[in-house]
Amino acid sequence: MEKKIVELKQVTKIYEGKVMHRALNRLDFEAEAGEFIAIMGPSGSGKTTLLNVISTIDMPTYGQVIVDGMEPEALNANELALFRRHNFGFVFQDINLLQMLTVEENIVLPLTLDGLPIMEMQKRVSRLAEQLSLKEILNRRPDELSGGQAQRTAVGRALVHKPKLILADEPTGNLDSKSAKEVLELLSHINETERTTIIMVTHDPIAASYCDRVLFIKDGEFFNEIYKDERRQTFFQRILNVLSLLGGNVHDLRML
Amino acid sequence: MMFRQFAYRNVVRNRRIYAAFFMASVFSVMVFFLYSMLLFHPSIEGSATQDMAVLGMGIAEIVLYIFTMFFLFYSMRAFLQARTKEFGILLHLGMEKRQLHRLIFTETIIIGAASIGVGTFLGYMFSKFFFMVVKRIVMLPALPLYLSWEPFALTVGAFLSLFIIISLVAPVFIQTGKLDELIRGETGGKESHGFSKLRGIFGLILLAVSYSMAAFISNNIIIGLIFLLPMLATLGTYFFFTDSLPLLLHLFKVRKEFYWRHFRLLAISEGVIRLKENARMFFIVTIVSTIAFMSVGILASLTSFASQYREVNPLGLVYESFPGNELESAHINRLGYELRKNDIDYTYVRFPILKQQSSFTDNTVSIIKLSNVNRLSRSFGNQAFELKEGEALFLPPTISTFEQLNKQIVETVLGESGVPVRINGAYPYQLFPAHAIGTNTIILNDIDFDKVASFVQYPSSVYHAFDIPDWQQTKNIGLTIEHSMTESLLTGTYDDLHYTFDNPGRNYSVIRTTFTLLLFIGLLLAGVFLLAAGSFIYFRLYTSLDSDRKQFDVLRRMGITDKEFKKIVNRQLIPQFFVPWGVALVHSSFAFLSLQVIWDALAEISIVRELAAVLIGFTIIQVIYFYLIRWRYLAHIRTPG
Repeated sequence: MEKKIVELKQVTKIYEGKVMHRALNRLDFEAEAGEFIAIMGPSGSGKTTLLNVISTIDMPTYGQVIVDGMEPEALNANELALFRRHNFGFVFQDINLLQMLTVEENIVLPLTLDGLPIMEMQKRVSRLAEQLSLKEILNRRPDELSGGQAQRTAVGRALVHKPKLILADEPTGNLDSKSAKEVLELLSHINETERTTIIMVTHDPIAASYCDRVLFIKDGEFFNEIYKDERRQTFFQRILNVLSLLGGNVHDLRML
Repeated sequence: MMFRQFAYRNVVRNRRIYAAFFMASVFSVMVFFLYSMLLFHPSIEGSATQDMAVLGMGIAEIVLYIFTMFFLFYSMRAFLQARTKEFGILLHLGMEKRQLHRLIFTETIIIGAASIGVGTFLGYMFSKFFFMVVKRIVMLPALPLYLSWEPFALTVGAFLSLFIIISLVAPVFIQTGKLDELIRGETGGKESHGFSKLRGIFGLILLAVSYSMAAFISNNIIIGLIFLLPMLATLGTYFFFTDSLPLLLHLFKVRKEFYWRHFRLLAISEGVIRLKENARMFFIVTIVSTIAFMSVGILASLTSFASQYREVNPLGLVYESFPGNELESAHINRLGYELRKNDIDYTYVRFPILKQQSSFTDNTVSIIKLSNVNRLSRSFGNQAFELKEGEALFLPPTISTFEQLNKQIVETVLGESGVPVRINGAYPYQLFPAHAIGTNTIILNDIDFDKVASFVQYPSSVYHAFDIPDWQQTKNIGLTIEHSMTESLLTGTYDDLHYTFDNPGRNYSVIRTTFTLLLFIGLLLAGVFLLAAGSFIYFRLYTSLDSDRKQFDVLRRMGITDKEFKKIVNRQLIPQFFVPWGVALVHSSFAFLSLQVIWDALAEISIVRELAAVLIGFTIIQVIYFYLIRWRYLAHIRTPG
């Protein structure tokens, strides 16, 4: 059995406020190094909260979180930030490139914070640019990019510091189907070649069918879990079956 | 819900945004009201200083009014831009444009009325204190607090009209063109990242030229340049912010070994964008700050002129009589009588001045007697000088000429009388005002002086010097003589007058009060300017708060520590606060360099100390303001919208 990179034990997250809201309820979750996992569930099921707990942005109300053998709760805010910076890469739904930086600068940003030698930075950027076919557009600004190009840049930014874990929140949510396919193939390629663990929250069964394993949650609790098989087509069909069992809303069934 | 209620709630719930705007408006209303209180004060009338006060306040009010208008226009625009998304939603929900305009109008009037109310109230509260300060400066008998409708009417009328104009014009600022753009809240988008190299270099050249002209200016051409230089510098400043600075930063960015270091990547690229978006605002802030520095600096230097006045005018009263003056003895007796009557101690010395032609230079030399000089000098507490027969001393016309004259030894024969003299060095004490007794004057020993006197029938003029230790007490001495001088000046018979009279103590009190008053008015104005400049920056930050927040969220996930984030914010805010201000500082320093030339010509006075005080004072205020606004900004950006 491979090394566990993420371990959640009986994690409960309660948002206090005028209306108390239980976003996660006694959830167990594990991810092994090198896995590509999708998390699915209806809106408000706690997917994003789960991702935030894993990424140490949110702390669980009860339960235990272990990331790469460390307990984030034991770290102070400063150490936590550095921990995130060195171990995680993020890809967001609304891409969130920094508007004032060029593609190249956006990619290199995490490295500059750690003060790497300039030669090393340039080497990594040019290798990534090759891999992500961004070479021609390195000097463009985010507002001059297509959706696919922008998200590939964001993936580059998430990869450049060789993180152990990539956390993606609806990475294809704002993309057309062609760009979405591009980005998903890219992620799965990286997962295969670099053995980087990827945890991806998604609504989209097609996106989920690229993964090794899909975890379904509902109302903050574990609902089901399925593993991929030989053919993506049948895996996709099984995902749809679970989704229809899950109920959820019409939006989730739009692929039918 | 009533329409008006909706507008009211908009204002109240947006109070954090409105706060800086409100504060600056209140302050300017308050200052305006204070000035008006003085303008309409029932016990102010008559004398020159009081006229001066009223005139100064009147001008200050006009300046304040115009400035407030610009300030409101600019703030309103920035503010409405920040709310484009909200307006987009309202239009989307089916609000008519006419209604939207009415909404903005109502909101502006609400905030305007509130600031007028609060400003006037605070103004009335502080007016007693204000009167006390003014009373001390202008030396009025008493300025009782009074209640009258005029100052209220003027303030309310002026500012209400201002707010109405603004709120009628303001809706033009919202580009109500495309609805979807409004909703996405993209204000004008990120403009082009380009800049013109040519204009950038042109801007730098303009600044360099105006700086070097200001620094190496000479007295002769200054009058022409005084109009040209500000125009050059203003144009140069504009291009400096729109093109030169981006050009310089671009040169920096090309060098990755410097640029890709820690926070520089973030801070500089962000800085470039801010600069591009806000170049015009930076330009305005720079010019406003320059004017504020300049006005306070000039006024402070005028005050310094007054305080160095005594050094330049060591004598209490001076009466100079020329041949043919029948009133001489009557006037001198009268002055002595008035001094005694007012219990003012004085030493009186009469200096007959002889004129001879020097064989050495062929120039006319004015001659005064050593014993007279010693008598006056003793009353200042100086040692008496001794000269033997045939010896003389130069009397330096100004303090600065002493060093040079003291090294000279001249042997000459005094023209008509044929008396030989050896002039050895200069007289070290400053007894007379500059150039009081001609530019070429010697002090002659008594024996030779009497010899020359016996050749000359009449002295060419007689200089009556009154040394008065309590020299500021002479305000009311010699008024009748001064009066008849003024009269003949007005009737054009000044040249027929065979005497001149000077009362430095009286002049000093007029100069001093005038300048202190102007300084006081100027400081209040500069306070308004500074507050407004800071609130411009605050607005700009607010306009981009949403995108800044998003960016903060990305950085936080990416793993930026709190300390690092503060550093990044510092590096973004410090240039915004201190670059316009630093440029303004450099501008005014060079302007003062050229002003110093004027001062040197007028009187030998250095304004460096006063200027340093003014600039340091402004720096401290600016730093406090920076921390205040950074605190607010950090708080806003950390709380998710």
